[in-house]
Amino acid sequence: MTEIPRISAGRRRKDKFMRALLGVATAVALVPLVLIIYYLIYKGAGQWSGRFFTTDPNGNFLGYPGGIRSAILGTVEIVALATAISVPLGIGVALYLVEYGKKSLFANVIRYFVDVMTGVPSIVFGLFIYIVLIVSHVGGNFTGWKGSVALALLMLPIVARSAEVVLNLVPTDLREAALALGAPRWRVVTRVVLPTAASGLVTGSLLAIARGAGETAPLLFTVGVANGLTFNLSQQMNTLPTQIFTDVTSPRDAIVARAWGAAVTLVAMILILNLIARAAQRRSRLA
Amino acid sequence: MEAHTPVSGGDRQALERSPLARLPDQIMKWGLLGVSVAVLALIAFFFIELIDQSSLAFNRFGVFGFVFHNRWIPSRLVFGAAAMLFGTAVTSAIALIIGVPVAVATALYLTELSPQRARVPLTILVDLLAAVPSVVYGLWGYLFLIPKLKPAEQWFADTFSFIPYVSGHVAGPSIFIAGLILAIMILPIVSAISREVISTVPSEHREAALALGATRWEMIRMAVLPYSRPGITGGAMLGLGRALGETIAVLLVIGDDPAISHFIFGQGYSLAAVIANEFGEGSNIPIYRSALLACGLVLFVLTLFVNGFARAYVLRGERRMFRHRGGHSGAIGGGEVEAAVGV
Amino acid sequence: MFTSRISAVLATAAAALGVAACGSSSNTTSNSTKSPSGAAGAAPATINGAGSTLAAPIYEQWGSNLKSQGLTVNYSAVGSGTGVADLEAGTVDFAGSDPPLATADIAAAKKKGTPVHFPMAFGAITVSYNLPGTKTPLKLSGKVLGDIFDASVTKWNSPEIMALNPGVSLPATTITVVHRSDSSGTTDGFTTFLSDYNPTFKKKIAHGKLVPWPSGEVGAAKNAGVAAAIKQTSGAVGYVEQAYAIQNGLVYASVQNKAGKYVLPTIPATSAAANGVKVPPDLRITTINSPNPAAYPIVSQTFIIVYQDMCKAGVSSSAAKGVHEFLDYALTTGESELGPNSNQLPYAPLTPALKADDKKQLATLKCNGAPL
Repeated sequence: MTEIPRISAGRRRKDKFMRALLGVATAVALVPLVLIIYYLIYKGAGQWSGRFFTTDPNGNFLGYPGGIRSAILGTVEIVALATAISVPLGIGVALYLVEYGKKSLFANVIRYFVDVMTGVPSIVFGLFIYIVLIVSHVGGNFTGWKGSVALALLMLPIVARSAEVVLNLVPTDLREAALALGAPRWRVVTRVVLPTAASGLVTGSLLAIARGAGETAPLLFTVGVANGLTFNLSQQMNTLPTQIFTDVTSPRDAIVARAWGAAVTLVAMILILNLIARAAQRRSRLA
Repeated sequence: MEAHTPVSGGDRQALERSPLARLPDQIMKWGLLGVSVAVLALIAFFFIELIDQSSLAFNRFGVFGFVFHNRWIPSRLVFGAAAMLFGTAVTSAIALIIGVPVAVATALYLTELSPQRARVPLTILVDLLAAVPSVVYGLWGYLFLIPKLKPAEQWFADTFSFIPYVSGHVAGPSIFIAGLILAIMILPIVSAISREVISTVPSEHREAALALGATRWEMIRMAVLPYSRPGITGGAMLGLGRALGETIAVLLVIGDDPAISHFIFGQGYSLAAVIANEFGEGSNIPIYRSALLACGLVLFVLTLFVNGFARAYVLRGERRMFRHRGGHSGAIGGGEVEAAVGV
Repeated sequence: MFTSRISAVLATAAAALGVAACGSSSNTTSNSTKSPSGAAGAAPATINGAGSTLAAPIYEQWGSNLKSQGLTVNYSAVGSGTGVADLEAGTVDFAGSDPPLATADIAAAKKKGTPVHFPMAFGAITVSYNLPGTKTPLKLSGKVLGDIFDASVTKWNSPEIMALNPGVSLPATTITVVHRSDSSGTTDGFTTFLSDYNPTFKKKIAHGKLVPWPSGEVGAAKNAGVAAAIKQTSGAVGYVEQAYAIQNGLVYASVQNKAGKYVLPTIPATSAAANGVKVPPDLRITTINSPNPAAYPIVSQTFIIVYQDMCKAGVSSSAAKGVHEFLDYALTTGESELGPNSNQLPYAPLTPALKADDKKQLATLKCNGAPL
């Protein structure tokens, strides 16, 4: 019996070396994550206190500069409105593409432009809203809802694309069975397609929300600044990303510390959204 | 629900619905079509508005003059965006040079080499990098990375000063740090897409290589990488698109100097950063605002091209997959992966 | 199944918003029960302003004090240039600007009405630096500062600086110059001073809110950014309003004034700059390079600029009343919060004559023809 030629020592060394290199590269990739999370917790979590979450930034020149209550609630409100705008619209577009448009030219054009929108830098959305809504003084000057519209523009393509993927995964047999039983098209959509795709739609929406909550650039020229707490979306509002952005370059140590605290709060919020999204994805009934 | 009429053979009448009952269907169809058309109109309006607003600057300085002239002097209302374009290009190039090899290496390790039990937790960790918002990257870069790396950068600049573009006095914020942060930010995207692509390499290819006596690494080099190249390139280009448009993180670490720096640790500017920084004061001066929006248009066109190419590459990879797998489309072209990592 | 999962998500969202709303409702009730003391107009109003970072600590402190009176003041410290631009665009109710509006700006603003300048306070622009080894404050002149900031002088131990500071050991470090990257009234004040003493600087860079600084210098946004940059960079020098310098423990130089004396920026020296300065009828004063021998030479005035007829310019009537209330507070209680004591903000308050002029001007503000 002929012997299987042995692998030379040189090749074996190279193999070991490259495999180790790939492992090291992975470790290197994780180093920034570890450092970021470490510093966020080390510098930021220490800021967490009752006072931090129940007081607003107070603009005091000396002494305690205030907490981040207005920033958290502002983010929640503005992102909630942005979600209310972008999720129904995004799922609507996806439904059209999947149920009616399919492979038609018009549908492909829509798909292409939605893809284009995902590549637009977020600052350009803010600029657009500034030109269209702020300069024209439509409904006031800087307002919270205009920031929501800018965020909705950013979130819409994310929702639409992930919704299209999920809706496509609903088996055609289910639709056909419902249609064969005499259900009208709209009933098929509301009672069969949407419920089946629900987990995936929720996942996609939550990821879009997580993305929107972390964005700063679209809010810069649309929402203005505010220290105090307000729930009125027609006024200027505070948000977590803009608060962090303003605080990070401050020379005052207390304010920089607040920036870290706000950052770890924001990251925690986004992480929770991501984890819920993953959990929803795992419970999905679809592939 | 509809009234149940027993279906008797040949009685078509009973199954047809009244026009009124068909109304909700029509409403849904035209409603959804309307929504889609509205979204399309919005994007078109967006593009037209941007072009219109930039036209003042392009007319004053010429398209070529504006994009390639290096004179950004707001106090004299003279605008040429070459330094911003340079900054955007160089930081993105650094991001690709550092980020893509690490991302691909990570993807290879996670799909081919890592122990089975560690795979999911490590994958989640790498993807977590995408969950960090850009302002937090900027904060971490500004408050941690810049001070910590400054001595090392100065040492590097002094030791390797014979290499062009390396020597100089390191002030802190720099193009290099901006590129480094961008590399970290694009890592999850490129890694996720690479993982998808690599996992679709047909096992026959892998097994063939191993059967011929290849080592693990040789198998990767001969069977996996060539097959995955279009998809990985596509992923890298998507990462590039993200790097080009990143605003806040770059703004905080690049130093905001509208000049083409003579060395890599010098300060610079980027198209997105100049808009964020100067729009407040420029918004009321027509030529200034137009110049900033022209920067936005240049950026928009750049990202359009890059994303377009990226999708073409990724689609090519997907079509290949289709042929081998017989029809079950992966998630690459569909956006689920990108959505998952926040592109 | 589907319905229960969706309703679970919706319930969580509703709960979160409900908790937030609970927090807010208790806040607003407490706000409205505290009735405003004295000022006319009890409705909780919101006014929006933007501009000078030099004066931002003052307006933010006053705003914080006024919150208990039911007036919310949102002040966006974006720099004098942006503040004026916002006022002209109509996106804010009042602007904070250190330099008075130039004649060209007034003509541009005239489209909406007559802009009115209210001088509010005086702040010293310090020359702050970061030299850990040097203990005593350096002496610097306008000429030498001009050379430093236009990059003709590049090292701390250069002969020009050493000539002014005999006996002080200066390191051989490269000077890292920090300047404002945004449109700034502080820049305008500082460059005006430099242009008065250094003809090369005047030719190359001149003065203004935004000037073409030589490349290689560090640009930072807002006074806070410059202070932070100086704090973090050994060998750095920059121009920072005094409140920020004090707040961050920066060391600043004594600067040679018009009379030839080297003066440190103290509150008395700042007030001295305001004394004896000519006051034109429209109150557009300037205190840079004051001739007073006791004055610190780089003192900047700062204004609040509003339209005379605010409502005609687009401001809502409740905001116009709010601005009036704000200015009224500023000219009565607010000014007493500025001064040299440790519980005061480190700015020089208005001279009694200027305060009287401001009050007279305040009475002329209108809303659609009717006085406020």
